[in-house]
Amino acid sequence: MKSKKILVLDDDRIVLESCKRVLEAEGFKVFLVSSAREAVELLTTGYFDLMIMDVKMPEHDGMYLLEKIKEKWPLDIWPELPVVVMSGYPTPDTISESLVRGAREFLVKPFTPDELISSTYKALKRSKKHGKSKSISDR
Amino acid sequence: MFYSTRSKLIISFLGVSILVGIISLFVGIQLLYKTVLNEAKTRIRLDLNAAREIYLSHINTIHTALSIATFDGELHSYLDSKQTGKLKQKLRSISQQIGMDFAGIVMENGEILCRTGPDATPGVSQQVQNPVANYVLKHGTAVSGTVILKKEFLIAEGPELAAQARIELLPTPMAAPRMEKEETSGMSLASGIPLYENGELFGVLYGGILLNRNNEIVDTVRETVFQDETFKGRVIGTATIFFKDLRISTNVITPEGERAIGTRVSREVRDRVLIDGKRWTDRAFVVSDWYITAYEPILDIYGQRVGILYVGVLEAKYADVRRNVLSVFIFITFAGMIIAIGLGYIMANKITRPVRQLIQASNEVSRGNLKPDIGPISKNETGVLQKTFSEMLSHLRERDRLQKVESEDKLLLSEKLSSIGRLAAGVAHEINNPLTGVLTFTHMLLRRSDINEEVRSDLKTIAQETGRVRKIVKGLLDFARQTKLDPETTDINWLVESTIALVKNEALVNGLNLEFNPAEELPVHTVDRSQLQSVLLNIMINAFDTTKPGGNVTVTTGLGISASKTEQKGIEIAISDSGYGILPEHLDKLFDPFFTTKDVGNGTGLGLAVSYGIIERHGGTIRVQSKVGKGSTFTIWLPLEGQCEK
Repeated sequence: MKSKKILVLDDDRIVLESCKRVLEAEGFKVFLVSSAREAVELLTTGYFDLMIMDVKMPEHDGMYLLEKIKEKWPLDIWPELPVVVMSGYPTPDTISESLVRGAREFLVKPFTPDELISSTYKALKRSKKHGKSKSISDR
Repeated sequence: MFYSTRSKLIISFLGVSILVGIISLFVGIQLLYKTVLNEAKTRIRLDLNAAREIYLSHINTIHTALSIATFDGELHSYLDSKQTGKLKQKLRSISQQIGMDFAGIVMENGEILCRTGPDATPGVSQQVQNPVANYVLKHGTAVSGTVILKKEFLIAEGPELAAQARIELLPTPMAAPRMEKEETSGMSLASGIPLYENGELFGVLYGGILLNRNNEIVDTVRETVFQDETFKGRVIGTATIFFKDLRISTNVITPEGERAIGTRVSREVRDRVLIDGKRWTDRAFVVSDWYITAYEPILDIYGQRVGILYVGVLEAKYADVRRNVLSVFIFITFAGMIIAIGLGYIMANKITRPVRQLIQASNEVSRGNLKPDIGPISKNETGVLQKTFSEMLSHLRERDRLQKVESEDKLLLSEKLSSIGRLAAGVAHEINNPLTGVLTFTHMLLRRSDINEEVRSDLKTIAQETGRVRKIVKGLLDFARQTKLDPETTDINWLVESTIALVKNEALVNGLNLEFNPAEELPVHTVDRSQLQSVLLNIMINAFDTTKPGGNVTVTTGLGISASKTEQKGIEIAISDSGYGILPEHLDKLFDPFFTTKDVGNGTGLGLAVSYGIIERHGGTIRVQSKVGKGSTFTIWLPLEGQCEK
């Protein structure tokens, strides 16, 4: 089975490193970006099975990025990029807003490797339920 | 328009005094003047009687003198001897003695035997009618009284008499018009005595006084009746003898200062006295002044009304009395008014001063001064008001003080909580990222199989303690998070019961007796179920922790009034335990974040702080009552109105 590609976005280096270590150990291909701009760049050039992102970053926050994704890819295809949202300061507002904007899972920092893995699989599993896996680059 | 009570009082006092003053002024003066006037009229009637007596006494004098003369021997001897010269002398001496103007003897055949005036032609019968002699000769009896004498008779008796009798009629306002320009007849007091010789009437002795221009009688009246009393230089009493309506003898003075002979009586008086023959007693305008007057007709010897006898007193005297009384009354009225104003002012002040002070005090209270000066306490209804007012003030002050303390405490606490919250949030957020690293790498290390047991044990400790850090940070964030409430209509009893269900097992494990006393009827309430539940859980777990096995934890619901002064209605949930209780010095720190009495590691010290925040956002309060060794009661109070802030 071809290993899944996961894009991780966070402005904190240690979080990126942690995700990389845990997810690679699980056999995923992990790509790290530290800004929303970079994330958009990568998303337009390549296909990813999952994106894990922080909602609160200095440059643009995650909400902005979620909005951007929604704009860039029409409604009929954007849900096909499952997103896991992370936050060190989860409020009911940010959680519900994230879910409304298309996030599949919400991960509260600090998390243990097990929590990360379980969220990842859950998000991917849900994505599968939707079936019709279609690459962005196919278009 | 706003009139102060004071002016109203003064105006009422003034009104009453003016009213009373004016009424008493008018009524008093009318009554008084009427009385005085009546008195004066009564007096003037008596005066008129006196005047009449004087008038009649003059007639009597003549009558008596002439009667005596008929018995005079000398007179008879002269008569017998027809010595007319002697007779004339004799008659003249009698006339002089009693002041007669004329006298004479008429024989039975009408011949004038002799008279004091110019001698008649001897032997010629009486050409001129002698009313007195005619009367006596006709009736054979003596007669005395008022007699009108024609001009011819007067000329015959003496030309100077005719001249004296002639009076020019002066124009008089209000008098009845008369055609003649002058009066030539005379009015006299006369007497006629029959002369008998051996029982046979042979003649008449007559004599009299001409009243025209003879002021003796009227002056006698003035002197004896009015005693020459004067008022402001004027004689008060006056008397007049009228011949018909003409003044022929008077001491009424004209404005020119002369006797008003020739003026006439008013038509009104003439009609009543002379024509109707009645008395007149009233005020009347005489010549040039108002008088209180009395008039009565004068009858002549034939019973004809030929003249009027009048007496009068100047009304000015009584008017002056009235004026004096009036000024006294006015003075009294004014004095009364001034007293009334003064009294009104003083009383109004006495009544209204405390009221005004109260008004001022309430104004001050509305401006925020709760210690205004309300002045000395009065001993009347106002005093009751003042007392009530000051009681109200002291309540207000107490309430104010309590509110201040309460709101200061509240402000302090919420400021403390929010600043701590912000700090905690910032710290937590920053700490979470490195913590993620620590957790991840520790766990990754633990997955490795090439580490010995000692290292594994150490790593486990790191993982465990990092887990603790994570718990603390999570607690901090829970506390700091300004979570929006998600209110739902909830049956509080149900919510409490379902919460109890969650901890039932834990209570059993701890050997505690957990009881629930639900209120029978509790209104449904709008609360954030999960948040309220976490508060209940928190407090219950705390209760379990402080209570020894075998102890009791009781949850009670009911209606309650807020502890603040507003006395709002609300719902109470009380959680009582029979635990250690809380030390008094810990009571006010209880809701501070990070305050805990539990062993290190057993509590974050955030539970109650978070609970406090949740209940506060519901608009409610948490009260704690505790006795060391007996236990504690946490009472959550939630308002029924204005329940949640969003």
